[in-house]
Amino acid sequence: MNNESISLQIRGGATCYSVPIGPVHPALKEPIRFEFNLDGERIVGVDIKPGFAHRGIEYMGMRRNLIKVLYLAERICGICSISHPLALTQAVENAAGIEVPPRAQYIRAIIGELERIHSHLLWAGVGAHELGFDTLLHLTWKVREKSMDLLEQLTGNRVDYAIPIFSGVRRDIPDEKAHLAYEALDYYRGLLDKMIDAYLHDKSVEMRTRNVGVLSYDDAIALCAVGPTARASGVKKDVRQDMPYLAYADMEIKAITPEDFGTEPIGDVYDNIIVRLLEVAQSIEIIEYCLENMPKGELMSIPKIPALLAALKKAEGEGIGRHEAPRGEVFHYVRLEEGIEEPVVWKVKAPTYNNLMAWIPKFMGEEIADIPIIAASIDPCVCCMDRVHLVDRGGEPSVKVKDELVRLSREKTRRICG
Amino acid sequence: MIIGTLFKQLFGKPATNPFPVKYMPRSVTALLEKVGAGKAAINPPIPVPSDLRGKIAYDRDKCIGCQICIRVCPANVIEFLPEEKKIRMYVARCTFCAQCVDACPVGALSTTDEFLLADTDRFSENLVVG
Amino acid sequence: MTATLVSSIWQGVIILFGGALLGMVYKGFDRKLAAQMQGRIGPPLRQPFYDVIKLMIKENVVPDHAVGWLYNLMPIAALVAAATLLFYIPLGGFAPLLGGYGDLILILYLLAVPSLAMMVGGFAAGSPYATVGAQREMVMLMAYEFPLAVTLVSIAWRASYLVPGQPVFSLSVLAAHPLWGAVGPLGVIGLVLLFGALFIVTPAELTKIPFDIPEAETEIAGGLLAEYSGRNLAMFYLADAVKMVVMASLIIALFFPYGLASIFGIGGGWGSLLDVMFYLVKVFVVIFAAVITVRVGFARLKIDQVTRLFWLPVTGAALLGLLLLALDGIV
Repeated sequence: MNNESISLQIRGGATCYSVPIGPVHPALKEPIRFEFNLDGERIVGVDIKPGFAHRGIEYMGMRRNLIKVLYLAERICGICSISHPLALTQAVENAAGIEVPPRAQYIRAIIGELERIHSHLLWAGVGAHELGFDTLLHLTWKVREKSMDLLEQLTGNRVDYAIPIFSGVRRDIPDEKAHLAYEALDYYRGLLDKMIDAYLHDKSVEMRTRNVGVLSYDDAIALCAVGPTARASGVKKDVRQDMPYLAYADMEIKAITPEDFGTEPIGDVYDNIIVRLLEVAQSIEIIEYCLENMPKGELMSIPKIPALLAALKKAEGEGIGRHEAPRGEVFHYVRLEEGIEEPVVWKVKAPTYNNLMAWIPKFMGEEIADIPIIAASIDPCVCCMDRVHLVDRGGEPSVKVKDELVRLSREKTRRICG
Repeated sequence: MIIGTLFKQLFGKPATNPFPVKYMPRSVTALLEKVGAGKAAINPPIPVPSDLRGKIAYDRDKCIGCQICIRVCPANVIEFLPEEKKIRMYVARCTFCAQCVDACPVGALSTTDEFLLADTDRFSENLVVG
Repeated sequence: MTATLVSSIWQGVIILFGGALLGMVYKGFDRKLAAQMQGRIGPPLRQPFYDVIKLMIKENVVPDHAVGWLYNLMPIAALVAAATLLFYIPLGGFAPLLGGYGDLILILYLLAVPSLAMMVGGFAAGSPYATVGAQREMVMLMAYEFPLAVTLVSIAWRASYLVPGQPVFSLSVLAAHPLWGAVGPLGVIGLVLLFGALFIVTPAELTKIPFDIPEAETEIAGGLLAEYSGRNLAMFYLADAVKMVVMASLIIALFFPYGLASIFGIGGGWGSLLDVMFYLVKVFVVIFAAVITVRVGFARLKIDQVTRLFWLPVTGAALLGLLLLALDGIV
């Protein structure tokens, strides 16, 4: 057989062939390309090539006024759809010096935590599907419907909630809606034990996830992993704990690690499941605290839209905003100049960007059968992450290091900004 | 274990709402014609909250032509008609964020809970407001 | 002579079509009931028929890198082997059509052929996913053949003490003399262990979760069958449907060959009809327990876990069952 699609290399007795996974593959929910070098079933090398979901969002953002940019930011990702507006509004308010009333900060935190519940349940279902356990997928997504229905009641839509706006929030949570929220929270509290039983005490799930895709504590710190990926390795890193903002500043949030479940953190896929399910429990408590202690007051400090547009046009300065998205720390940077409605610079750093490099130690030494679950274990959101695409027509494959990337980016910025 | 849940679900009602019909029909257009003639019924969708952000409704008389809604629309949905000083919205591009509703100073725009807007023509009557 | 030949040919045709039809009916039940268990509605019961008809009229794609003649031959080999098995296994209480010409050893060989055909087809397809899937099918075949052989041979060997002088490897003889009533308590435990081993081998034989690693959808995009389409895929699909009926009939013939007609004393045509109905119910129960419920209740196991599972606990159970049957014979 003369197969060019399987490149065979005889290396010291071991036959090594390479298998491409992606950009279109049933294991991947979003397009990204892996190239695995395999020895039989064992992975001996992996290369990651992202860039398929790059849409030029920052370029579009630099051509629209800030309120339009807010809705563009919301649509960077569907699952973490409020994380980007939360970070962007904080960045702009930071740059323009706009105050946010306390009631708005609580409402923003509530919707952010509801998004965390829906995102972690989605991840749990997707993880089960990668393991071949479709029943858990359907069960988990059935219970996720309750959070989506609650979000629809509170915000008017199941995805893309359009709640944060510069200087506050757009909708209130009055008492009639608050009791719907309490009902949903009770439902989830009662369900959490069943979910932990179904995922963490099931023999076949444990066989597939224990000691699979291990990320050690030192690797997690060296590779700057964020979010549940880092917390599963025992690193106590959480933006809500380290640099409190919004309503989290009134609560003591502790980063959740597998030690809270009673086991030593190893950093494998099983620990990722533990951390995410326990975070759902933590979110339920946070939402309850916020609902009970919500201060009274106005919703926006600049309620009239023309006044808001004028204030944003007059603003000058740079600002950063951070939020603990379900996947980790999302970071937005804006620079505003007086007299210009559009942001002069807008940079988005998604949490998956940090966690990409964590894939390499997780994959090495594992089997092909583990590829889907390890790929899913860092909860990749590739559409959040794809910000830069380097196009080189007809060159050799090359590796660009930091200084050269900075030089190329500066050249491009000069070309765009004229 | 999970077996108990499985058997309970085996004899219970499915979680899926069979909207519009339970199984794929032989021909979709034939089914739609029958529904139009009143000879077949469609299961209704799950009821939505009344303040769902659906298709935007426009009260022409209240509109003063200030164009603030056009300035805030992220999808360039709204077109200004200079002679009458009124607007026209093309729902095919709308993302239903309802920012225009919040921005209007006289309350000429409001949200409705209409969301079954699928159509084969981008400019059909249902998808052009105003 | 020609009359019996013509009647045999008619019976063969009926068995072939009946087997394929039954297989697809049970596949329909499989999808519907699995969906209900997961809280969904699922496809209508006639979906497998729609699937096969649609596959037959779709284009048959042969990849450039594939070994063309092998690639197209293997689905035919799989379907023919699965269909041939129908002639050697008692169905519906009737004796197998070619009962005198083949026995358990032939059935053991023929059961391996569809898996071998899928494996060779996977290697012939020329895609890395198919190669990986074919390697896994090869390893899994080596894993589950051992307990399968131990189980079948144990039953035949014990039966040789019960009915000395008769060809005990013939399934019609085994079906006529079920072992449950003829062994003591030790033997019953041994038979239960053997039944358990065969029960676990069934989803592996049919490549269903938790043992569907050669066709893992999320890992290798369909594995063995990744490159197959159109008529070839329809033949593999039919082969899988027929194999389901064959495995269930094998379990029933070895462990539960009882018929209702003899118990109620109804003879003639009505008795045969009652037996056939009862047989269909038995096949449904076996498929429900061994394929459907297991398919929705477990995650997919990795290939090294599958091999370890079959070579250590399952073979150990089968060998222990054989030992207990032997002890029962002595005691």
